[in-house]
Amino acid sequence: MSTDNSSKPAEASAGAASSNPGPSENGEDEKAAVYECNICLDTAHDAVVSMCGHLFCWPCLHQWLETRPQRQLCPVCKAGIGKDKVIPIYGRGNPNPQDPREKLPPRPSGQRPEPENTGGFPAFGFGDGGFQFSFGIGAFPFGIFTSSFNMSDNRPGPPQAGSPQHTEEQFLSRIFLWVAILFLFWLLIA
Amino acid sequence: MTNIAEARIRREFKEVVKSDEVAACNIKVELVNDTFNELRGEIAGPPDTPYAGGQFHLEIKIPETYPFNPPIVKFLTKIWHPNISSVTGAICLDILKDQWAAAMTLRTVLLSLQALLAAAEPDDPQDAVVAQQYKENHSIFEKTARHWTAVYAGGPKSYPDLDSKILSLKTMGFEEHQARAALSSKGWDLERATEYLIN
Repeated sequence: MSTDNSSKPAEASAGAASSNPGPSENGEDEKAAVYECNICLDTAHDAVVSMCGHLFCWPCLHQWLETRPQRQLCPVCKAGIGKDKVIPIYGRGNPNPQDPREKLPPRPSGQRPEPENTGGFPAFGFGDGGFQFSFGIGAFPFGIFTSSFNMSDNRPGPPQAGSPQHTEEQFLSRIFLWVAILFLFWLLIA
Repeated sequence: MTNIAEARIRREFKEVVKSDEVAACNIKVELVNDTFNELRGEIAGPPDTPYAGGQFHLEIKIPETYPFNPPIVKFLTKIWHPNISSVTGAICLDILKDQWAAAMTLRTVLLSLQALLAAAEPDDPQDAVVAQQYKENHSIFEKTARHWTAVYAGGPKSYPDLDSKILSLKTMGFEEHQARAALSSKGWDLERATEYLIN
């Protein structure tokens, strides 16, 4: 009995002492506490309320739902909860209210980059490059040789325009051009 | 996101320190370092249980993903309980595993652990030997749990008969805790405990 009596005033005085730094400030603290997010325990921002009446910051609740996508339960009372089962709250102070559920950028969905080709199939990748590489070596000197031969040769000048030889040469050059294009095209798709 | 964990622990720490349970010396939390990722908890053994009168210390580790994942808690004080390992102090409690919810706090965790001491779940055991004893020989279990509380958690002194059995094993050259654990798991049968220790 006596201990009970002595402890009660002590508790009361401790309570009074804690509320000493300004009664109005403390009152506002308590008011704000009613609007604390149940996850971060801070005043809820981008607030949403669940069907069971529990208040959260949308970012906090979103992360909770992401943590357990298979078991979406209210963190307070374990009622069913989900993105479409919460209501955004718009206070008057907010000049342009926007649904917080749309504000939060949805997290990028998981991607699965292919593993790098280091040792997995080295022959495959390298062989492909090797083919193109050898083509380059084969064609390049050939081109140089032909051009240099052209330089050194005393070739006869071009035939007169309109002569049968001219049209024949034009026809041949066109055929070679098409063959070259077809060859390049074949290289591209091969 | 790590900042959420720290900010929350700061707030919770204040909450626990201010709470009525601390005033009643039921639960307590202390910081281990400045980073708020490791704490020491303390709970009082609930009255009318074999743990009454004891103070049990807990190691609380806060993961970076707290409060979205539960804190990692284990008993530092040795305890004889079906849901707590008598060797490692590991705890089997649903809210510390899949039943965790982000709105739970250090305060609710400590109070849940206190409730676990008062109401064991022998069908979901962490320590199979203790759980078996709890179910099959409950009076021996209670006596053992009370003895462990007295020795490791500062509970009221009890059972000189158990102490004398430990002493006789000690004179045979066994270490005290080893002797106590062997006797406890063998229902305080000196012969079986000796046999167990020799093998």
